Amino acid sequence: MAGSPEEMAKHKRLYLIVGIWLGVFSCVAISLGVFPILDVGPPGATWEDIVIGLGVSGIKAGLVSWIYMHLNHEKGLVYKTLVFTIIFFAALMGLTLFTLFDPIKESYPTIQTLRGLLTR
Amino acid sequence: MSETAAHPHDDVHDDHHHEEPFWKKYVFTCDHKVIGIQYGFTALLFLAFGFFLMMVMRWSIAYPDRAVPILSDWPWFQAWLDNEGRVTGDLYNMFGAMHGTIMVFLGVVPLAFGAFGNYVTPLQIGAPDMAFPRLNMASFWCFLIGGVLMFVSFFLPSGAAKAGWTNYSPLATTTDLGFSSLFWTGQTQWLLGMVFLISSSLLGSANVIATVINLRCKGMTWMRMPFFVWAMLVTAFLLLLAFPPLEVAAIMQLMDRLAGTSFFVPTGLNVGGMAFDAAGGGSPLLYQHLFWFLAHPEVYVLILPAIAIVSEILPCNTRKPLWGYKSMVYAVMALGFLAFIVWAHHMYMTGMGPAISTFFQATTVLISVPSVILITSLLISMWGGSIRFNPAMLFATAFIPMFGIGGLTGLPLAFNLTDLHLHDTYYVIGHFHYVVAPGTIFGLFAGIYHWFPKHTGRQMSSFLGHLHFWPSLICMNGIFAPMFLQGMQGFHRRAFDGGAAYEQISSRILAEDGTFVATIFQKLNFVAEGANVMMIDLNQVTSTFAWLLAVFQVPFVINLFMSAYTGKKVTSDNPWDATTIEWATPTPPPHGNFTEEPVAYRGPYEYSVPGADKDFSPQFEKGEDGDDSPDTEESEKSVSAKSDH
Amino acid sequence: MEIPYEVTPRRDTGLYNAKLAVWLFLASEVMLFGGLFSAYVFLRVGVIDGVDVPWPWGINVHKTFVLIGFINTLVLILSSVLVVFSWVALKERNFAKFRALMLCTVACAAIFMGFKTVEYRSKLMRHFDIRLTDGSMMEGTIFNKSFDIPFSVESAEFNLIGSSPGFIFDIDGEFPEMTVAWTVGGSGGKEETQVISSKRDFNKWFVRTRTAMTKELSDERKRYRGEIKAKEKAVFAAEEAGTLDAVELKEPVMPDVVTKAVAKLTKPYDLTARRTRVGKIFRGEEGAHNDTLTYADGCKLIGVGGDDRVIFEPHYVDMQLVPLHKQKDSMVWDVIGDKHAKEAWYKNRDHAYEEMEGYYAKKDAEIPEKMLRGYFINIQSIHDKEHKKGFMEEFIYEFKAGIEGTAYHHEDGHHDDHHGDKHDDHAKEVGGAKDDAHGDHGHHVVIKVPRDKIKFLNSHGPRAGNYYATYFTITALHGLHVIGGALVLLYFAVFGKRLYRKNPEHLANRVEVGGLFWHFVDLVWIFLFPLMYLL
Repeated sequence: MAGSPEEMAKHKRLYLIVGIWLGVFSCVAISLGVFPILDVGPPGATWEDIVIGLGVSGIKAGLVSWIYMHLNHEKGLVYKTLVFTIIFFAALMGLTLFTLFDPIKESYPTIQTLRGLLTR
Repeated sequence: MSETAAHPHDDVHDDHHHEEPFWKKYVFTCDHKVIGIQYGFTALLFLAFGFFLMMVMRWSIAYPDRAVPILSDWPWFQAWLDNEGRVTGDLYNMFGAMHGTIMVFLGVVPLAFGAFGNYVTPLQIGAPDMAFPRLNMASFWCFLIGGVLMFVSFFLPSGAAKAGWTNYSPLATTTDLGFSSLFWTGQTQWLLGMVFLISSSLLGSANVIATVINLRCKGMTWMRMPFFVWAMLVTAFLLLLAFPPLEVAAIMQLMDRLAGTSFFVPTGLNVGGMAFDAAGGGSPLLYQHLFWFLAHPEVYVLILPAIAIVSEILPCNTRKPLWGYKSMVYAVMALGFLAFIVWAHHMYMTGMGPAISTFFQATTVLISVPSVILITSLLISMWGGSIRFNPAMLFATAFIPMFGIGGLTGLPLAFNLTDLHLHDTYYVIGHFHYVVAPGTIFGLFAGIYHWFPKHTGRQMSSFLGHLHFWPSLICMNGIFAPMFLQGMQGFHRRAFDGGAAYEQISSRILAEDGTFVATIFQKLNFVAEGANVMMIDLNQVTSTFAWLLAVFQVPFVINLFMSAYTGKKVTSDNPWDATTIEWATPTPPPHGNFTEEPVAYRGPYEYSVPGADKDFSPQFEKGEDGDDSPDTEESEKSVSAKSDH
Repeated sequence: MEIPYEVTPRRDTGLYNAKLAVWLFLASEVMLFGGLFSAYVFLRVGVIDGVDVPWPWGINVHKTFVLIGFINTLVLILSSVLVVFSWVALKERNFAKFRALMLCTVACAAIFMGFKTVEYRSKLMRHFDIRLTDGSMMEGTIFNKSFDIPFSVESAEFNLIGSSPGFIFDIDGEFPEMTVAWTVGGSGGKEETQVISSKRDFNKWFVRTRTAMTKELSDERKRYRGEIKAKEKAVFAAEEAGTLDAVELKEPVMPDVVTKAVAKLTKPYDLTARRTRVGKIFRGEEGAHNDTLTYADGCKLIGVGGDDRVIFEPHYVDMQLVPLHKQKDSMVWDVIGDKHAKEAWYKNRDHAYEEMEGYYAKKDAEIPEKMLRGYFINIQSIHDKEHKKGFMEEFIYEFKAGIEGTAYHHEDGHHDDHHGDKHDDHAKEVGGAKDDAHGDHGHHVVIKVPRDKIKFLNSHGPRAGNYYATYFTITALHGLHVIGGALVLLYFAVFGKRLYRKNPEHLANRVEVGGLFWHFVDLVWIFLFPLMYLL
């Protein structure tokens, strides 16, 4: 990347804007936790909280990786590697968690636990 | 130990242009070949050590009521044998755990991936060295530190780790707590050693991938890469992505032991009648998930390099192209992908539910498809060839049926219903040792015999090679075939008396008195005259073959060292008339490998091309016909189409 | 020999070596932290209600911690921006600007680690949990060093095979004079003694005696095996000769080596035991000087046990691991010993029930059983007469954001030295009197908790539960990455000039690669912050 001076200036502006947005999203995230008025649902980590909290983090992570780590113009090999990594990571987390929701005995209390976690 | 290990080679050939001091050239070297040799010798030493541990265990299994011969007077053993000089359960557990760990993490993987991956891969793609030579050196020293930690842990008051090579929590967390320093216990040192070994593997695998992707020489398109390089690439990806979760597990278990966390300690755990002093709430199942997420791909890390080596040796010695090169490449990729989602078939007995078990059963059966593609392609590659049976080829040929037996006996273990019966019996031991011992290790031996002339400029003795191969083949089968019989009867792998305590199992009759088998057993003094042969008597057969196997490795050691000095000198740089680029280097390859920039003109296995003037057309030689131009898509297609026939 | 594509990208892959490698490395890092995050989710979802230690939903996270975390987030984001701009500066061939920005980045890393240290310290030092044997929990402040057990040693028994006895490690300061006694030549053999007056002498003696013992044991075993063999031979010969009944056989004798040693101290030594895994004094009869304390390695101290009760100021009572019908008779009320506390707890609980019922009725749902069991009732607020807020209101407030107020109001870190000893004196078995020693609002119950009623005791360090375990493990690993990355970036800033003169593009590549790693570290923190502080 990084060709002519104009292009460079454009990039610099983009980096600055992204930096500001990152700060803004951090403020959004923390306001979720600190100001009770913004709390969604009953006390505890409700699943709305989880979605919002991780959603904001996801956006931030996307900005960092997409703009700062230049994933917006990277080479195919890197994408392939990362896609497989994400798949394997998803397999690790998903299948591991799946064992919790597939109890061999009915009395195994995990499903109730999750239900409790999500409804509170 | 690697210093001395690399030593024999310095006097053989010494045609470097500028002299570097010894320690820089052979100890802290950045040359991928020397690092490969360092890996190789260290790994061979560890293999021998792991084998020794196994021999002691086999004594305990075969003769649980007799004193261990020879060793019982050694000072170190004194502390671990009982008053009568017999092997204790603690010693058996320790040796069992460390046999597994050493063989897998310090023996076979470093030899296969570290030594061959380092030595051969850059040569085969025409690269001057690895992409990051200094990183390469770092990964070897990291490996050595890990290995030394593991080895030293034997001499701690607690002894080495005893909780099995899988190191399952909470057993591993609660073992050896009775020491004033928890840090200096074998169990903790095992974890530390693993952290070093894993870091080493991560550095090494990133290096290999970068090398293969970026350092291929001119004309070396993807489909012109030898199958060996493909397999190494997939292996490296397996290591790169599967090892970190185990590193995490090791770190968490380290925290459990040293910082008192309870990642893997469930609530209400009692140890020795006392409540275990931890907060609880952890999950032993989590450890198993993280462990097997690595350890199943690790199985393919063990086997792929061996398949790769065999697929180099077979075409060369049958003078035929590798059959189905392209399908093998895709199969190995599919294998690499599927390897990540089969891990929980090791965990059917942990109380996972039916749905997840079925999922893993399905993927496990699925993964046998690419494996069978690989092995079938190798088998068909031999069809109609004029085969040269040199020692390398013997080992490579033997690899195919041995790996076949190992693979096929794995199927009953893949189904969760049959696994309930066979889990943790000798059947499992027989199954994976067929894959790893006569499978992988034969493949590695084949590789040593095959590439020895490239490094030393001398051939290994063919007579000693035969003397090494045939008895080894017989002994390997003598060791592992009886295990299937015993396993199906329910002999448990962790019984240090070989199952003698379980009368119902051990007293099952294998052969009645008067039959042929019984006569042999009686003649060999394994059972008394006039007695029936019981299932448990097979222990003695297995053990005897194991000790014999050790004896028949002596010719190999002699061959390895003697041939380096007195072996027949090779007359050309390409003694086997092979086609891949590593044979274009001078013998031995200097630092920087190639004297002129290599170019790949065609596919890797162009043997007996119709119309060519010799029966092999090396990748590095420009042919007469026009379609050999490097770097074009068409040539890649035509090459791969050719090699498919 | 030169490695190709170190600076310029390869034509067909479009990548130079280092960039390819760093992406591979990052892929493996994704799996590394992926494994940790998987563990986090697995453990958190897998918490079994009423059995496992509860996972705190932000309740134990003090506002200042959230603030620290927030500042750290901003600091890391700032450093990310700086590292990008330093790379741009290098691309524009402006080395001075590059160096300045890079040094700022490293400074950001230092600030981050500084805040981290503050947070770790307060987590490790301030708050303690006590779980009693019936499962009820108290959270509060501790005044003595909880893991230390005072013991006046008169003698010690230990094993001579193995590592040196644990109590030696606990002797600080002057080494007490002691007489060690051990036996040579099996039981009934010669007893030897030696007077030892320094740690060095002790270790010397231990190693020497251990070696001798090991040799004695080894010789005995050799002899024993010899006897077994001799007997077998004799039996065999007698069988051959047919005189088995007539021959007198010598029975092999088991080796008999005494590996126990006893150390008698000349005068009692007061030591603070720290290395016991199960810290419990077994008390003998009053005045009989036969209390014992056993170390993990089996070393046993005999003497007089000191007062090992935990001096504790409870802030919360947490009943969620106690079944509903047993809560009324829970031992925690005996331990607190304040009738008023119990009544108020129930009053407040009922009040909370009403509010919860109202809340869940509106949602047309049943109250989860876990809520009924009562979650973190603040006994501070019980005593606060001026307390005006409805319980549920504060409950939500505490629950979500960490609290400000009574529970943490003297956390300026001086309680260790200030109260540590003095509180011993005016600690009351039953808290009742208004004792505004801290000049603050609120009331303090200071109690002494006997060890045999404690099942588990810990600060909010990694041992306290899985939340703290994952918190410390992941953030520590992340911190190591921060340090490693900062060192590399610092190296570029300080020693980059030479490479810059030789080949500025090479340095730019290196900085890009280092920057990629740095962004990844930032990325991990972006997920860590909500997972560890907010949710």
